[in-house]
Amino acid sequence: MAGLLDKLLKIDRRWIFFFVALSVTVPILVPLGLPISTTSATQMAFDFVEALEPGDVVLLSFDYGPSSAPENDPMAEGFMRHCLSRDLRVVVCVLYPLGALGLANNVVARIGHEFPNKVYGTDYVNLGYKDGDRAVMRRLGDSIADAFPTDVNGRPIADLPIFHGVRSIRQVKVVFTAATGLIGEWWITLVHAQFGTPVIIGPTAVSAPKYYAYISSGQLAGMLGGMKGAAEYEQLIGKKYPVLGNYYKGTRLFTAVKGMDAQTAIHFVIIVFILIGNVAFFASRLRQGRS
Amino acid sequence: MSGLDLSFGKVALFLCFGLLPIAGFLLGLRAPSIRRQGPIILAFLAGIIPILSIYIPKRFLAHPEMGMSPRLDQYLIIVAGFALPLGIVNVIQNSSRKAIRRETGWPFAVVLLVGLFVMGSFGIYGAWTGEGIGFRVDGTSTPFKWMEENCFKPLQSTIFALLAFFMASAAFRAFRARNAEATILLVAGVLVMMGRVPLLEFIATPFPPLMPAAAAASQWLGKLTEWIMDVPNSAAQSGIIIGAALGAAAMAIRVILGIERSYLGLGKGD
Amino acid sequence: MGDLFGTWLAALLTLAAFSFLYKDNPIYRFAESLFAGVSLGYYVGIVLDQTLKPNLFEPLKTNFGLNWDLMLAGVLGALLYVRYVPRIGWVARYGLAVYVAYYIGVEFTQKIQGEVMPQLARTIRPLNQWSLASVGAFFASPSLVSLLAIVGTYSVLVYFFFSREHGRVMRPISRLGIWFLMISFGAAFGFTVMGRVALLIGRLNFLILDWIYPTLGI
Repeated sequence: MAGLLDKLLKIDRRWIFFFVALSVTVPILVPLGLPISTTSATQMAFDFVEALEPGDVVLLSFDYGPSSAPENDPMAEGFMRHCLSRDLRVVVCVLYPLGALGLANNVVARIGHEFPNKVYGTDYVNLGYKDGDRAVMRRLGDSIADAFPTDVNGRPIADLPIFHGVRSIRQVKVVFTAATGLIGEWWITLVHAQFGTPVIIGPTAVSAPKYYAYISSGQLAGMLGGMKGAAEYEQLIGKKYPVLGNYYKGTRLFTAVKGMDAQTAIHFVIIVFILIGNVAFFASRLRQGRS
Repeated sequence: MSGLDLSFGKVALFLCFGLLPIAGFLLGLRAPSIRRQGPIILAFLAGIIPILSIYIPKRFLAHPEMGMSPRLDQYLIIVAGFALPLGIVNVIQNSSRKAIRRETGWPFAVVLLVGLFVMGSFGIYGAWTGEGIGFRVDGTSTPFKWMEENCFKPLQSTIFALLAFFMASAAFRAFRARNAEATILLVAGVLVMMGRVPLLEFIATPFPPLMPAAAAASQWLGKLTEWIMDVPNSAAQSGIIIGAALGAAAMAIRVILGIERSYLGLGKGD
Repeated sequence: MGDLFGTWLAALLTLAAFSFLYKDNPIYRFAESLFAGVSLGYYVGIVLDQTLKPNLFEPLKTNFGLNWDLMLAGVLGALLYVRYVPRIGWVARYGLAVYVAYYIGVEFTQKIQGEVMPQLARTIRPLNQWSLASVGAFFASPSLVSLLAIVGTYSVLVYFFFSREHGRVMRPISRLGIWFLMISFGAAFGFTVMGRVALLIGRLNFLILDWIYPTLGI
């Protein structure tokens, strides 16, 4: 037994890689449909959007790149679907430089097709990317048009009906930032702190633990933490809006709910690895103590 | 000069950030000490204006159309745009040198340069022609968009996805309960990993009679995980946020007052 | 045809990057170099099309009288590149000074107003709201949560106070702070596992559902 544990500790790491790949691949090939519980942070976010009135303007900021798209894409899509289902006006912008613009373009195009009764420029708009992150946020406090003079395709935003009655971020009812890194935090510590606009954040799981402090201090209106948070949100909006529920059940495209089976499997594998490693560690310590 | 908008904010910024550097450049040609002092004075102005505009809501400083601070925000959007690709020059210099001198790995330097110029050219083409860098009006992809979808995105996603494997390997080899603190870390980590996903239901899947008990236990575990995140984790993160923020604020004062100059390539003696 | 070629290209590049798991090899290094080059070229495209064109060139072209001062911003930005010119590289300090110091100034108010004050305010809560209905209700009592928040936050701050050696009073408080930090880092590890694995799930989803299945006609 001791010999076996020692051999396990010295195992070629490519075998570990193989088990990791297997534990993710099998649930993709054979979905299990495991249940997903809802956390209070996600419920807060959902309830906040549900409380908004039709015609209210919300801002969806793409602050992540392809490196975290499997987590953040479902959040951004879910939020946009939720808002359009509630007849809210959605303004999309991009502040993350590496790859977020393409993701925003894809999401807006895809969701736009799913809601053929919604008109680009009236019900939703894509303002594109802007350099300067916090300089942009500060300008948004006075004038959205100063920071984003045109939409992503170069059309002046003064011509767009969506901005009737909305001059700055102070008239926006909520900012949803799907974020990796610091930009999400800046929406909270700069925009919410200085202009009072509520913020819901969809961080990657890596940065999610930090945002619990912001929830506790009342600086956040909700949080979708990682792929689990996105899956919870998909489930909530699917239950409330049957059209969205049918979409999520029937689509071939990747959704966060589908990804949770693989998440569960890999967690199981990693916990087993950690337990084996510690059992072997303690066994060798015991042997050393005896000898 | 007729027809130019000479509002206070624009003129003041032109004096501070236009004439001052010009004077600094001309004087600096003769007196090397001005080459160090000039930027530090400019840094003071650039740092103090955004701070004062919040606490002194006067027209000359904070007015949305005529104030110095909003206009400075506008400038920095443009300056940030120039700053983002700054490293490209360095990379082109290094990679070109590597390729020309046939140093080790020079074919990969060529691949880098080809990727850079092709993607950059598509971007310049999109901006120049007005076609843009996203979808065309008819829904087809511009060349930039196509490269982004089929080269950039898969490569970036996959290179970061590799981390999952190395993290699993590291957890297996290094995550040990060596002492009290490490044990607390290990237990908290395992509890959170178990509580965030329906792990007990997953384990009970081959044993249907155990599913109700697994579901109940999973719910309890989920609540425990939420409590860990909401209470002790949140408290610790608060402490970290406060400590780091105070440190950053102190560093900000040092930079604005010119005490900290290393970001300009100047040492303590300069 | 274009989509099919694009999908195959994306899939092959994905496999090229994954090949590193077996061992470092020229195919992986090709993919890595291509990624580095394409990323840098990407910056050129987005900066020109999304920032400089609408915020600098177009305003100067359409209304020079109103926007003449934006030229100054353009010059300050361009000055950053002067660092690569050997004899007058020092001029780039002006652009750098404005760029760095502005964000430092913004960060100052952001940190105090957005981080320090709200997080400190969070620790000023009433301590007379206890629920003894059940064990679960007790642990969810607002005052227990507040008490733990106060104890946790300040013990962590004591741990990070390195200006003086920790004496008889500070040492146990600092130890308590370490325990709170360990709980937080353990929780962060759990979340990090989720985060990293999610990326892998996304990639394998693409390979299986978007490449292999359509290729096999599934």
